[in-house]
Order: sequence, then C-alpha cells, then structure tokens
Amino acid sequence: MPSIASKRKLRSSATTPLPTTASPPTRKSPRRCTTATPNSVTTVVRKILTDENHIESCELESKSVRSRWNPKDGEQLRMVKEVLHLSTAPSTMVCREEEQNVVLGFCKGCVEHEKAGSLYICGCPGTGKSLSMEKVKVNLRNWAIEGGFSVPEVLSVNCTSMSNTTDIFTKILGLHKTLGKKDSGTPLKQLQNLYSHKSPTTNMILIVADELDYLITKDRAVLHDLFMLTTFPFSRCILIGVANAIDLADRFLPRLTALNCKPSVVTFRAYTKDQILRILEERLNELPYIVFQHQALELCARKVAAASGDMRNALSICRSAIEMLEAEIRDSACNLNTLEEKSSSEQNLPTAPDFVKKQEFDMVRIDHMALALSKTYRSPVVDTIQSLPHHQQIILCSSMKHFRGSKKDSNLGELYKSYAGICKSSLIPPAGIMEFSNMCRVLNDQGLIKLGQSRDDKLRRVTPKVDEGDITFALQGIRFFRNCLQ
Amino acid sequence: MPNNLLSLEMAVAMETEGENHHIVKALNLLRSRICDTGFIFKDSSDGNYSKLKFMISSSVAEACNNSILLLGPRGSGKLAVLDLVIQDLLLQYPDSISVVRLSGLLHSDDISAFKEIARQLCMEHQLLFSKAASFDDNSQFMVAVLKECGLAHKSVIFILDEFDLFAQGKQRLLYSLLDAMQSVSSQAVVIGISCRLDADQLLEKRVRSRFSHRKLLFLPPSIEDSQRLLALMLTLPLESGLPYDYAVEFNKRVQNIIEDKKFKEIFNKYLNFDSSVKHLLRFLFYAVSHMDLQTGFLSRENFETASSSIQRQPKLECLKNCSILELYILVCMKRLEVKEKSLCNFNAVMKEYKSVHDSFQTSDYYARNVCLRAFEHLIHRELICFSDNRGHSLSVEFRPVKLLISSGELYQGLKAYQSCPAILQKLIDS
Repeated sequence: MPSIASKRKLRSSATTPLPTTASPPTRKSPRRCTTATPNSVTTVVRKILTDENHIESCELESKSVRSRWNPKDGEQLRMVKEVLHLSTAPSTMVCREEEQNVVLGFCKGCVEHEKAGSLYICGCPGTGKSLSMEKVKVNLRNWAIEGGFSVPEVLSVNCTSMSNTTDIFTKILGLHKTLGKKDSGTPLKQLQNLYSHKSPTTNMILIVADELDYLITKDRAVLHDLFMLTTFPFSRCILIGVANAIDLADRFLPRLTALNCKPSVVTFRAYTKDQILRILEERLNELPYIVFQHQALELCARKVAAASGDMRNALSICRSAIEMLEAEIRDSACNLNTLEEKSSSEQNLPTAPDFVKKQEFDMVRIDHMALALSKTYRSPVVDTIQSLPHHQQIILCSSMKHFRGSKKDSNLGELYKSYAGICKSSLIPPAGIMEFSNMCRVLNDQGLIKLGQSRDDKLRRVTPKVDEGDITFALQGIRFFRNCLQ
Repeated sequence: MPNNLLSLEMAVAMETEGENHHIVKALNLLRSRICDTGFIFKDSSDGNYSKLKFMISSSVAEACNNSILLLGPRGSGKLAVLDLVIQDLLLQYPDSISVVRLSGLLHSDDISAFKEIARQLCMEHQLLFSKAASFDDNSQFMVAVLKECGLAHKSVIFILDEFDLFAQGKQRLLYSLLDAMQSVSSQAVVIGISCRLDADQLLEKRVRSRFSHRKLLFLPPSIEDSQRLLALMLTLPLESGLPYDYAVEFNKRVQNIIEDKKFKEIFNKYLNFDSSVKHLLRFLFYAVSHMDLQTGFLSRENFETASSSIQRQPKLECLKNCSILELYILVCMKRLEVKEKSLCNFNAVMKEYKSVHDSFQTSDYYARNVCLRAFEHLIHRELICFSDNRGHSLSVEFRPVKLLISSGELYQGLKAYQSCPAILQKLIDS
C-alpha cells in the first residue's frame, strides 16, 4: 500500500487523528459478569470510546446513564429505525479511517502537484467503499479550499447506468467544457487530443467510477483507454475506480503493467466482528436511550462477520430484530385483551393479567436477535420439503436413492421406475406417468430438481439440486421415510 | 355433465316457481365463497396476510425503504394475498401509494422493464409518456420520480412477478431499483414474487447485499389445515337469509361427510399429489357444482365425482373404447416387450398372436387383414406408434412399432373393461 498518508500531516479537521497503527483499531470488548446491568455496560463502553477518540470524558459522563426506551411510543420507534436504516449516512465513519486517509492522501498529492493518477479500490459489497468516497470528496474539497489550491471538479458516475460503455468519455468531456472545438472524432479521441497538449487553466478532475466491472467489454478496450487517459503528459484527471474484484487491475489491464502505470490498489477488507459491533454502537449512540441488549448486538456482529462481513446485512438484521420485538408486543397486547375479557367475565383470575402487565418490553433481547438471524440465514429448503405433498416427497426420496451412486443425472423414465418401485414396496399405488411428470415439473419450478428439455417426455434429463443431507434431515421425522432413507 | 345441466334447468324452473329458491341461493353463496380470496386468506393473526400487511404498512407509515421476497410453490396464494394487502392499503392511505407492476415473463429485458416502469409512473401521475424515450431517459425519469415522491411523502410499491426471471443476465434493473432505495430521498418498497426457493441465491452479490433478506414463505397447508379450511368453506352461515332449519341440516350433513372414513380416504388421496390451496379450491368447486339441486344437500358422491373428474386418465378412457381384437394386439405387444424381443412389428405381433391362439385355444382368431385394420386403428388412436420416422417407403406390416401405454395402465384398463375375456387377464399377469 502506498505510504504517502502516514507521512503527511492532515490539515482537515473532519477526520479524527488516530495513533499510528497499521491495522484498523480493534476494540476488545470488556468482560462482563452476569449481574451487570445494561447501564453499567454502557458506561464502560463509552469510557473506552472516549479514550480512543480523545473526546472530553466529562461531556459523556452526563449521558452515561441512559433512559429506558419505550417501544410502544411510535415516534421513538421511528427514530430508532431511521438510525439503523441503510440510507442514513452516519456523520462520522468509524473503522475506515485508514483507508480513507490513504485515498485522501493520494488525491491531495495529485492536486498539489497537479499530476494525474489512478487508484483502484476493491472490496466485497457492504464494506463502506461508496460511503468512504463520499467522505473523501467532501474532505478533499474542504482541504483544497483551505489550502488555496484550485478546487478539483468531481464527476461521480455509476457504470451500471450507462447503456453504452463509451458514454463515460462523453461525460468526462462534458466536464471540460471545451468551447470552440468542433467534433473532431469520438469523445475518446478528443480527450486524448486534449491531454496531449498543454492547456493553461483547467482544474483537475476527480473521477469516481463506481461498479467499474460493468465497463468490461470483450476486448477490454474501454477500461484500458480509461486508465490510459491518466498517463498522457498533460492529463488532468484523477481516476478512482471502485469494484468488487481484487484482481481486476491484473486481469484486465495487463498492458498497463508493461508501461509501468498500473493503478495502486486499496483493499477494503470485510468487517470483523469488533468493527461491526463498533459501527452499530456508534449509530445507536445518537439515541438518548438504550435499544439493544449488548449480548444481542454482539451475537449479530459475530454471525454477520462469520458469514460475509457485510455491514448492510448487520443493519438489516437489527431492524428485523426490532420488528420481532414489535410483533411480541402486539401479541401480548392481544393476549392481555383476551385475558382481561376473560377476567371480567369470570371474577376469579387474580394474578394473570397483573403479571402480564408487569412484563416490561424495553429492549431488544438476544432471543429476538436469534430469531431475526435465523430468518435471514436459514434456507427455506427444509421447511418446504417438509410441507410438500406425500407423493412429491416420495419422488425426492427416490431421486436421492437413484443419484446416490456415482451417476449425476438420469432421465425421467428411469426416475419413474425407481419411484414406482418405492411405492410398490410400501404398498401405495403409484401415480401414472402423466401425473408423475406434472409433479416433477412442480418440483422443477421450485428449484428442488432440474429438468432438461427433450422431445419425448420420458427422456428429459433430471439433475438433483438439493443436498442429500437436507432431504434426509427434512424427512427423518416421518416414519414412512425412515426405511427408504437408509 | 348432462346430469348437472338437467339439474340446472330444473333449478331455473324451480326458481321461476319460487320454491326451493334457497337451495340455489345456498349454491351461489358457496360458489362465490370459493372464488373469494379474501374469505380464504384473511384469517389468523400470524398468517402471511397479516405479516405482509404489517411489513408494508409500517414501511409506508414510517417512510423507510424495504424489500421483501414472497416464496412458495405455484398456487399457494402469493399474488392473491399481495393483492388483498394492496387493496387494503389503498383504502387506508388513499393518496400516498402508487403501484408499479412488472412481470418477469414480459419485462426481463432491462430496456423494456424501464420503459414499462416509466409508462406506469406516467399513467399514475398523469404525465405524457413518450415511446421514443431512450434507456437513459427512462432510468433518470424513474430516479427523479422517486425523489419527487419521497419529498411528497408518497411511497412507490414495485411488484416484480416471476422474480427469478429478472435475475438472468446482468440484473441491471434489480441493481438500479435496490440502489435507488439506498438514498434517503426515495421512498419505495420492492416486492418480489417467485416460486423458486433459492431466488435470492440467484442474485449477484452486489444486488444481494442491497436486498434486505426478508422472505415470506407460503407453504401449502397440512392435511389438518386443509380439512379445517374445507369445514370452514362449506358451513353455511345461520343468519344470512337462508331458512334456519335448512342451514342447520346442511351443516350437520357436511359435518357427517367430513368425519366419514371413506371421505377422508378420497380427500387424502387427492391431496397426496398436490396439496396447494388452488388444487383444493378446484376440488371444492367441482364438488359444490355437482350438488343435487333436488335435495339441496351435499353428499359424499359429489366429492367422489369431483375427484375422478379431475384425476382423469386419458389413456384408460381410450382403452375402454377398444375392441377385443385390439386388446389382444396390445397384450401380444406387451408380451413381446417382456420377452425382450428387439424388433416388434406387425408380423412379429401376428406370430405371437398365433402362438397364443395355439397354446390357449382361444375362440377369437381373426384373419390377417382384419388384424391389420385393428392395428391401424390403434396407431390412429395413438396407443401404439412407429418407433422412428424413417421407413415411410416400407409398408405398415414391416415398420417397427412401440407401445405408448405402460403395463400398469394396460392392467388397470383390462380390469375396468366390461366383458374382458379372462384369457387376456391371465396373459398379462404371467
């Protein structure tokens, strides 16, 4: 990674100064004992954040005892959901300071020396790339204004919205506002012409190209030409490309390596559990009350980090957990009403309604979070297999036995024979071939098997799509299938 | 069928007389109930209807974006429930919702999808739609409309039917829609309907990351739930203008039918093949339509008729109309197949026929040209066919043929055949 950033002193005040660490700061969560109350936990947490951010601790101590949240209040609920929504950009971005500094340093270097350059940002979806770019644009602008440099113009383009890949050149050309020059070729040629001659007064242009892999064509010409634009002697563009593939530059721009102008790469790694936890807490700190139990947040962070490290998933799961809490409140309200009706009709139900009233719903607990997680990550295959009608389950079972050998596909006629065999051995009348082929088509629609095409219905190829283990797990509770599954 | 027409005529005659008017009224009530999706699906508080309604109404009320997938086999009521929810929401929030519907079968291509979105949005907001607008124009228009609707606190609900078909190709439409929902200014709900369970695995990772992973599973009801639904649908209400005694007697008889063991057998056998709600409703509609209008009550025979009319076997009906000679030819061909003779043509069948006649001394032995005529009959009826399309120059007697009917069906057909000679049954058994 280029090391311009660490040597340069940052003048903008938007990013908080960090101690020089090579990796993003990992925060060790404090050990909690089981008798800790939520208030004490948050005090410790806020103290740690306080140390790291060099913010005065006295300012926060007044907030350390937070009020209880009332989930039945619609306004408070709405605020919580808004804070956790994907579209709300947080005011400070945590856990990406290092990467932002690198990119910002690169841009500042280019603007200061008035040199063109290219940078490639890669990372899995949901790792904060686009959000960081927004911050970088703002910071660069502020810095340029403060430092008296010419403010670079910014072109932000999402490559999916272009129907033609060469439209990007038209957009870049549009920013140059060259008057008096008539159409002398394609936009690309015009740009290349422009950059080969010295032009006195134009500003630098910062181009941020999101979802860069949509520009990849068969002959890779567009991508190549785009990056080559920065190598011209009088080029004015700073190109930042954003995409998911780590090796995009190597695979699709080999000629640039030869010319020694390969773009530098900044990788946004997937979030770790601590980072996810920290980002969630940062978002929730804006609220004056506690919404989540700490264990619930930690469970969410752990699961999401293990699965994909995608921040969007974590936010969506948190919102889902809030909805579980809402559902629970509604159900208990219904039960409360029915209990009250019962007790008003019979006068001898002393404690039940009182007990239900006393149960306070004031936080999202770990069981809500577990339910939300299982809904997101569990595949519905097992449920669906268990609710299939009987004969379709027999078909799946017979296909599993059929493909247990080394054969990977077979045709409908042979599958029918093995299905009829299982039916006969358990003394059930098998369905006719037409009914069987209808049922196979239903299974194909649901994605449980795959049917090929053929002129003759019986010769259509059948391929299994569901794991044998899933079928066994789903059907093991049914006595009928226990013999078949062995 | 003719029975039903007759009883319908009688019903009309009766109606004009004014007697037994309530029977026809009951029939209409039952039939309209079966066709009314609201009656079927607006049930329990934790059913899919209330869950979906809560999700969409909270997104609209709180002005936040959301994306949901409805998954389930065909005929389980996904689109029906969604339509019910949208109807209710349009009544509840009359001016804050606009609906855009796309179908994966028609609009899976990005260009036509954006065009259709632009057209529907223009219609909703009474703007002029230009057919000559380009892809860029349409996509910018959509983003602009979303922004305007967001400012005016209107939500746009996008319904993508056959969602898995949108996931082919570059998924640009899905990416643009889900990306537009990430900005604060737009207020939209994207609902995808698909019968593939792994519809969200088909999405590209960028699109999947932007999708909020909410899935509602529409599973077919279990046997107990189906029975409960059946009882619910067929119980006449006691205060709806029908004579009280008639309604009570009707409900009692329906209850007796449901608890009858034989009925349970028919019902379970019917649902063993396909237990979706649509299949069940089709069964009920048939049964109710066959109700005897003279007595005015449902009987178990109605359900048996319904079951057999839906589960027809066309080949068996074809066999019922065959002559004895044709049956002999089919049985001989089956025997040749069992003996694994590679070549089966008319001459081979005749040889087998002769050997059967010799060994069993049957009384049905016909001349060769009569047999040839029966053979051609069978070919026309498509119970047998030529194995390959070549050999048009050869005469019918030499071309190889194969059976189009399985041994199980042949066996069943022979059993159901009136006056089938016993020798045939013996031959097919051996």
